[in-house]
Amino acid sequence: MNMSNKMKILVVDDEKIVVDSCRRVLAAEGFEVLFTNSADGALKILETETPVLLLVDVKMPGRDGISLMAELKETRPEIPIVVMSGYPTMETISEAAKKGAARFISKPFTPDELLDTVRRVMPEKETV
Amino acid sequence: MFYSTRSKLIVGFLAVSLLVGAVSLFVGSQLLYQSVVDEARTRVRLDLNAAREIYLTRIKSMKIALNITTLGFGFLESVKEWDTADLVFRLGRMAKHADLDFAGLTNSRGETVCRIGPDSIPNKRPQPANPIVKLSFERKAPVAGTVILSKEFLAAEDPELANQARIPLAPTANSPPTDEEEITSGMALAVAVPVLQGGEVLGFLYGGLLLNRNPTIVDTVKDTVFLNETYKGRTIGRASIFMKDIRISTNVMTHNEERATGTRVSPNVKAHVFDKGERWTERAFVLSDWYITSYEPIQDIYGDRIGILGVGVVEEKYVDIGRKALLIFILITAAGMFLAIVLGYFIAYKITDPVRRLIKASRQVSEGSLTPDIGPISKDETGVLQKTFKEMVVAMGRRRAASESKLIQSEKQASVGRLAAGVAHEINNPLTGVLTYTHMLLRRRDIAEDIRADLETIADATIRVRNIVKGLLDFSRQTEISPEITDVNHLVRSAISLMENQALVKGVTINLNQGEDLPNLTLDKSQFQSVLLNVLLNALDATEAGGKITVSTMMSLSSSDQGQKGVEISIADTGCGIPQEDLGKLFDPFFTTKEVGKGTGLGLAVSLGIVQRHGGNIKVQSEVGKGSTFFIWVPVEDRLNEHVE
Repeated sequence: MNMSNKMKILVVDDEKIVVDSCRRVLAAEGFEVLFTNSADGALKILETETPVLLLVDVKMPGRDGISLMAELKETRPEIPIVVMSGYPTMETISEAAKKGAARFISKPFTPDELLDTVRRVMPEKETV
Repeated sequence: MFYSTRSKLIVGFLAVSLLVGAVSLFVGSQLLYQSVVDEARTRVRLDLNAAREIYLTRIKSMKIALNITTLGFGFLESVKEWDTADLVFRLGRMAKHADLDFAGLTNSRGETVCRIGPDSIPNKRPQPANPIVKLSFERKAPVAGTVILSKEFLAAEDPELANQARIPLAPTANSPPTDEEEITSGMALAVAVPVLQGGEVLGFLYGGLLLNRNPTIVDTVKDTVFLNETYKGRTIGRASIFMKDIRISTNVMTHNEERATGTRVSPNVKAHVFDKGERWTERAFVLSDWYITSYEPIQDIYGDRIGILGVGVVEEKYVDIGRKALLIFILITAAGMFLAIVLGYFIAYKITDPVRRLIKASRQVSEGSLTPDIGPISKDETGVLQKTFKEMVVAMGRRRAASESKLIQSEKQASVGRLAAGVAHEINNPLTGVLTYTHMLLRRRDIAEDIRADLETIADATIRVRNIVKGLLDFSRQTEISPEITDVNHLVRSAISLMENQALVKGVTINLNQGEDLPNLTLDKSQFQSVLLNVLLNALDATEAGGKITVSTMMSLSSSDQGQKGVEISIADTGCGIPQEDLGKLFDPFFTTKEVGKGTGLGLAVSLGIVQRHGGNIKVQSEVGKGSTFFIWVPVEDRLNEHVE
C-alpha cells in the first residue's frame, strides 16, 4: 500500500497535544492524517482533499466544531464526522447528534477507544 | 375600640341583662302591684264586713237593753199605773247603761208619755211622728234598725239632739254642688219594743242613738278593725257613715284635723251604692287622698236605702309597697347589668388576651423571629389556635432551615460545577496526550517488563484521573431532567436486577418489599436509576458476605413538608454503618469513606442533587456495626416544574 492509497483522516483541534495524539495513533494504524487547528483551516484543506473521516473538536477559538459540522453537512454530506469534546455536556452531545455527527467521543480517550470509534464510523468498504 | 370583641361581648351581655331585667321588671311589678292591690281590696272588703258587724251589734245591744228594761221588776206595775217618776228613772238608767241618746215610753196609741231629756213628760199635742214606734205599733212586734228622724222629733226629745243633728254641707272635690246648705234631720239606730201584759199592749218602749256627729261606731271600727294602725303618722283605716251621700259620722279628717262631716261621697260611689244598692270596692279619692274603699248601702227599718257604710285604707301604703318592690327590681337589674359588664369584661379579657398575644406573636414572626411569645396555652378553642400557630412557626423554622441547607447545597454544587467545568476542559486535552502516548509505548514489544509495569501504572492512574474528572463533570452537569411517567416498583426491580450478579458474587442477598397500589411518579428514569444504583452500590460495598440488603417501597408523608404525599424507597443494609460524625458530610462532594481510588466522593452528592431536582430528599439513619438505611422520598404530585429551570 503506497502513501497515495492511504485513507485520509482530517483532525481539527486547537490543542496541539490532541492533534499529535490522534496523528500518532491513526498513523500507526496506517491512516494518512491531515490536521489543522481551526475550522477555517479545515475548510481550506477540504477544498483539495477528500478524507474518509473528520475528527472535530467542539470548542475552538473562532468558529467552533458544531458550526463547521453544520456547514460540511451541506457541502460535503458524504464525509462522516466524529465529534470530540473534553466537556461533554448533554447539550453539546445532543446538539452534535442533531447537526449530524456520526459519533461522539469524549476526551481523554485511549488509543483503543479512538480506533474503535473510527472503525465504527468508517464506511465498510473502506475499512482497512 | 368600640368594635373590639370586648365591647361587643359587653354590649351583648348588657343587652341580655337589660332585656331580662326590663321584662322581669315589667312583669314583676305588674304582678306584684296587682297582688298588692288585690290584697288591699280583699282586706277592705273584710273590714267592711267587720264594720257592719259592729254596726249591727250596736243595734242588737240596744234591743237587749230595752227588752231587759221591760222585764225589770216592777216595770209593768209602773206602766199600768203610769208612775212617770219611776218610769223616767228607769228610762234614765237604761239610757245610761245602753248609751242611748234618746229613750221614752208611749201609751198603747204610740203617744209619748214620758222620756229622758229636758221635756220628760210632754203635754204638747200633736207630737212629732215617731217612726220607730209607729212601725212597732203597726207590726205589734219589736222593731230595731236604722231610721231617719225629723228635726221636730229630735227637738222634742232633746233640743241638744236637734242641734247635734244639724250638719252644714261642706264643698267636696269631685262632688257636684247642691243647693242644700245643711242637713237637719238625723239618722239614728233605734229600737221600739211593745210593752205587753197578757197579750194586751200597754205601750211601747223606744230608744236610740243619733248617728249624726256621733263618732262612737266609726271610732270603734277604727280601733278594733284597723287597730289604730298608722302609716307615716296617719291612721291607715277610715270608716264613715253616710246619710244619703253625706258624711254624718266619720273619722276622715279635714286639713284642719276636724272630722269631715258634711262632705259627700263621690258621685260614682253614690251611683253604685246608694242608687243601685251594690256593694262597691274600688280606689276612690276621699277628700285629699286616694283610698282603697269599700261601701255598702244602709237600709232603714222599712227596707229603703237611706245611707251608706264605708271603710277605706290609705292607698299610699300599698302604692309604697309596690314602689319599694319596683325599686328592688330596678336595683337587681342594675346589679345584674353591672355584673354583666364586669363578667363581659373578664370573659372578653379571657378570650381576647390569647388572641392579642397571637397577633403580637405573628407580628414577631413577620419580623423574622421564630420564637415568638404566645403566652400560656388556654384550654378552649383559642388554645387549639395557639397550638396550631406554634406548630406553624416550628414548621416554618424547619422549612427555613431546610431551604437554607438546600441553598448552601446548591451553592456548593454550583461552585464545584464551575470548578469542574474549568478543570475538565483544561485537563482532558493533556490527559488525551498522556493516555495516547502511554498506550502507544505499551504497544512496543521491545521494552523491559519493569518499564512496562511502570507504564501500566501511569495508564491506570490516568484512567483514574479521567474518572474523577468525569465525576466532576457529572456533578456539575446536573441541570436537566427529562421526566416521564414511571412505575416505581418497576424501576426498583430493574436497578436490583443490575446489581444481583455483583451481590451474588459477594454473598449478599437483596430482598425487595414492594408497596402496593403506589401511584406512578413523574421521574427522569435514567437519572433515578443511577441514584438507586449508587445507593445500592454503597450498600453492597458496606455489607460483608452473609449480610443482606432490604429494599422497600411505600407511601409516605413528607417529614419536612406536612401533608405532602410521596413515595419512599428505603434501602437498608446490615453493613458496617456510618459514624455519627460522618453523617452530616455524607452528601458533600468529594466526601468518601472508600479507600483512595475506589470512589470519587461524588456519587451521593450527585444522587442527592437528582432527587432534590425531583422535589424529594434523601435521609440516612445509621448505627455503626449494625447497618444503614437510606430513605429516598419523592413527592407524588408533579412539582418538577418548580425545580427545573
